Amino acid sequence: MRISRRDFLKISAATGVLASGVIGGKLTLTALAEKKGTGGGESGTWKATTCQGCTTWCPVQVKVVDGRAVKVRGNPHARANHGNVCPRAHLALQQVYDPDRIKVPMKRTNPKKGRNEDPQFVPISWDEAIDIIAEKMMELRRNRETHKYVTFRGRYTYMNEIIYGAFTKIFGSPNGISHSAICAEAEKFGPYFTEGYWGYRDYDLANTRYVICWGADPLASNRQVPHAINVWGEVLDRAKVAVVDPRFSATAAKADEWLPVIPGEDGALALAMAHVILTEGLWYRDFVGDFVDGVNRFKAGQEVPEESFQEKYTHGLVKWWNLEVKDRTPEWAEKVSGVPAEQIARVARDFAKAAPAAISWLSPGASMHVRGAYTAMAAHALNALVGSVDNKGGTLRAAEIPVNKLPKYDAYLDDIAKAGTKYPKMDQRGYKEFPALKKGKSGGGVVTNRAAEAILDEDPYEIKMAIAYWNNFTFSCSEVSRWEKALAKLPFFVHITTNPAEMTMFADIVLPAAHHMFEKWGYLKSKANKTAYATLNQKIIEPIWDVRIDESEIPWMIAERLAEKGFDNLYRYFKEQFKDPETGKEPTNGLEFTLYALKKFTQPMWDPSIEVEGDALKGWEDFKEKGVWNSKEYPYRKYWGNFGTKSKKFEFYSETLKYALESHAKKHNTDVDDIMKATKYQARGELAFVPHYEEAYRWGDPEEYPFIFFEYRSRLNREARSANCIWYQEFKYVDPGDESWDDVAKLNPEDGKKLGLKTGDRIRLISPTGQIECTVKLWEGVRPGTVGKCFGQGHWAYGRVAAKDFKRRLPRGGNNNELLPADYERLSGSTSRHGGVTRVRVEKL
Amino acid sequence: MANYAMVIDLHKCVGCGACGITCKNENNVPEGFFWANFLHKTTGKFPNVRYEILPTLCNHCENAPCVKACPTQAMYKDENGLTLHDPDKCIGCKRCIVADPYGVIYFNKEKPHRFWRDGTSAIEGITTNAQEVTAKTGTEVPYYNPDREKTYAGIRPKGIVEKCTLCDHRIRDGEKPYCVESCPAGARVFGDLDDPGSEVNRLLSKYDHFQLKPELGTKPKVFYTREF
Repeated sequence: MRISRRDFLKISAATGVLASGVIGGKLTLTALAEKKGTGGGESGTWKATTCQGCTTWCPVQVKVVDGRAVKVRGNPHARANHGNVCPRAHLALQQVYDPDRIKVPMKRTNPKKGRNEDPQFVPISWDEAIDIIAEKMMELRRNRETHKYVTFRGRYTYMNEIIYGAFTKIFGSPNGISHSAICAEAEKFGPYFTEGYWGYRDYDLANTRYVICWGADPLASNRQVPHAINVWGEVLDRAKVAVVDPRFSATAAKADEWLPVIPGEDGALALAMAHVILTEGLWYRDFVGDFVDGVNRFKAGQEVPEESFQEKYTHGLVKWWNLEVKDRTPEWAEKVSGVPAEQIARVARDFAKAAPAAISWLSPGASMHVRGAYTAMAAHALNALVGSVDNKGGTLRAAEIPVNKLPKYDAYLDDIAKAGTKYPKMDQRGYKEFPALKKGKSGGGVVTNRAAEAILDEDPYEIKMAIAYWNNFTFSCSEVSRWEKALAKLPFFVHITTNPAEMTMFADIVLPAAHHMFEKWGYLKSKANKTAYATLNQKIIEPIWDVRIDESEIPWMIAERLAEKGFDNLYRYFKEQFKDPETGKEPTNGLEFTLYALKKFTQPMWDPSIEVEGDALKGWEDFKEKGVWNSKEYPYRKYWGNFGTKSKKFEFYSETLKYALESHAKKHNTDVDDIMKATKYQARGELAFVPHYEEAYRWGDPEEYPFIFFEYRSRLNREARSANCIWYQEFKYVDPGDESWDDVAKLNPEDGKKLGLKTGDRIRLISPTGQIECTVKLWEGVRPGTVGKCFGQGHWAYGRVAAKDFKRRLPRGGNNNELLPADYERLSGSTSRHGGVTRVRVEKL
Repeated sequence: MANYAMVIDLHKCVGCGACGITCKNENNVPEGFFWANFLHKTTGKFPNVRYEILPTLCNHCENAPCVKACPTQAMYKDENGLTLHDPDKCIGCKRCIVADPYGVIYFNKEKPHRFWRDGTSAIEGITTNAQEVTAKTGTEVPYYNPDREKTYAGIRPKGIVEKCTLCDHRIRDGEKPYCVESCPAGARVFGDLDDPGSEVNRLLSKYDHFQLKPELGTKPKVFYTREF
């Protein structure tokens, strides 16, 4: 029987009185509704901006009601996420209104710096803050030591070219130092030294029939989360999914196969899969080619004459086989990776049978290891074996996004700046043991985490001042204690930040930053779903605190003050080179400068007089309204025949890497074998130029530290900046194995039994370089002998939700980076945070 | 007049949590309350492990025990089959909570959103605090959604219960419940069981499905299809 509300109302009075008697004399109704509205339709206006909770960089819309940000959704104009966002986007509401945000500039009054030193911050005006900064910069100029200044960039928009590029250089420093090497440079190494592409790939999920995820967890993190979530049901209908991950991840939970690899041993699996594909004749002949007589000579352990195989779009298959693959049987791989040979062979076969609609999806998890560069190459080489590189259903590059370059600033460099910018960058890139071969160039990439040693050892030279923005290196870099010492030593440090982060506690001046999604102008370039796009960060609400835009407004303010103090080159550059493209007006303040710069960079997309391959926008206002520009759909096989490698082919034998390594060796008057040794690699000779097996490198003696420690990413992490959001804490349990309001280290129940531990016990994890305390969770989703823990908790600052006790600096759980030693994948300059880089000991508290 | 129901396709659901978070956002749900929630379990032994997540919410039972238990008819069935709650009638006796076999009703034993009333700062005079934020936004919660007021207390006061209304305020205006709208997987489908052509009926006839605790005879209106 269905009862209408009317019926209820009829009888409510009588029963109400009756009932109140029953519960003990509570005669009046307890409460009335606080507010009642009656209007129809949704209130407010949806405004376009960008979510940078991860590096998907989603075009989003925010509902603004009476000047307040109220809700978030995907931008329906975006083809990449087709109007979807993942859970991260919603958490941003609790970031912009975070009660622990810094509302005014502040100055340190305690000259002593350290984690346990109270900085004794006092509020100051923007005027005073900018003046102090400008004065310090003038001092460096007067002493002709502008190179001793550094801009530390963390997360960014493409407006970073102002603060990180022009601002730093015109002032006179070579030191724009980015966070990129703690992010994923080792991953890019794989596609670059095989197919000549230094970048993240797009994945043709709509057409794929097999996906192997190498540590990738696309349903939870990087790099096209909402699109992946949205189409995954169909992917599972059409394709098989295999997940290689030491942890039973969000994607593994829905996959056909879980290959719980021993951390850092992914390379063995990839090579064994290549072995199966070749020995069983399953490679994709239209891409790779075939034996001249059509007879498969790939037999385990047997060399093959190079001339017997005719390659098509690839280079060096037989060399690779002879040097490496011939011996990499699944049975061998089982021993080192812990994954059954039968499963390895099955996945390899099914993957190859789906060719060319098969994706080998590479991630930082499988490559940000001490010896991970060759794993990245091996995993990407699988795409070539099945012909899915740049092909339908496979891994793709991206269409062009037409933007204007940063205006030339050479004419604004004075003698001091010219001398200063000639110094090498301060992060030790290109040193013998840090080749950092971005795009094949020795020292071409950053070695972010090494900057701490550079400051401490004054190697290559002393650093006297730094401005850091949108970063938190004393939390996000491994072996954070080095950063704490380095920042304590740094004489003058400015942090531009939304929250009082761990790094903030070492600052001399703190500047409150605008939040990227609600309070800032900027733009991003990204890709997903075969669409490259540019998306705007827009100032869609009036900030409630006295914050400024980090990448453009603050540099303008400093430039203005430097001009007053006698150095006006920067100010003139900003004034003269960033006129409003529509009116030709010079900027008169930081906000105008920001807007004109943004319009200038993005003009090819919104100016209807410029023809581009993609959305035709009607003008700047139209771009702001839509918030996103979409490219035309990416065409397949664009690079077949000219991949941009040395051989123009997809290189199984990397002539490109050979050239890069030999150039680096030559620079240091040595040979490649010596470079391999210096960079902790085991390969000698020609092996250095092909994807090959390298034993996982670990810190800690197995006797003293019996467990392999590994970490993973949360589907709620906004790059370790969301732990101060209560929704993050309340919903933390949506990460498989994790618990709300806690930071749990996962141990296999078998190990728990041995150690006498049960779920909920407090433990201490100890590595050779640090220790943390957290809670134990016994969970079948991790392999015996390993300890898995999510990154993101363990803040001792940032705010009063993130930290367990902000005033006493007690963390909620423990930061993995206090356990992890500062080690590197040196060929790319990357920080090794994955691959079980350290062993740990577990102690019950 | 309709007979509203929800179908959750567990094959599409990835367990991301967006429904739970956005429900709080839409309905101004305080800390510690979960109108939309999840059951999750890990079974099997390494390496043969299975992890499942099951999104939960008020089942809007046809035969709702909470409605039966309510002495004031504060908990009631509306003409569209929704189980709704009238804060004006609620006396906070919590009988609905006791009767509810699904654990989806919450009691406001204190004024909600205590988090947003804190007047202390992490660093005095430099970092802000919750009171300052809400004073600036002029709302009890800075991202307060006024649309919730159309059919329910915007924020439910101390002394009464609260629960999922299937976003009756949105349905009324021809919109989908917000958890449906914001599910990036498209796993949640909302519709009218009495409409033979509705998407919910299409899914229920296409796939095997189940409800939670059907043996209790509550006739839940939340259906689950396929497997996680």
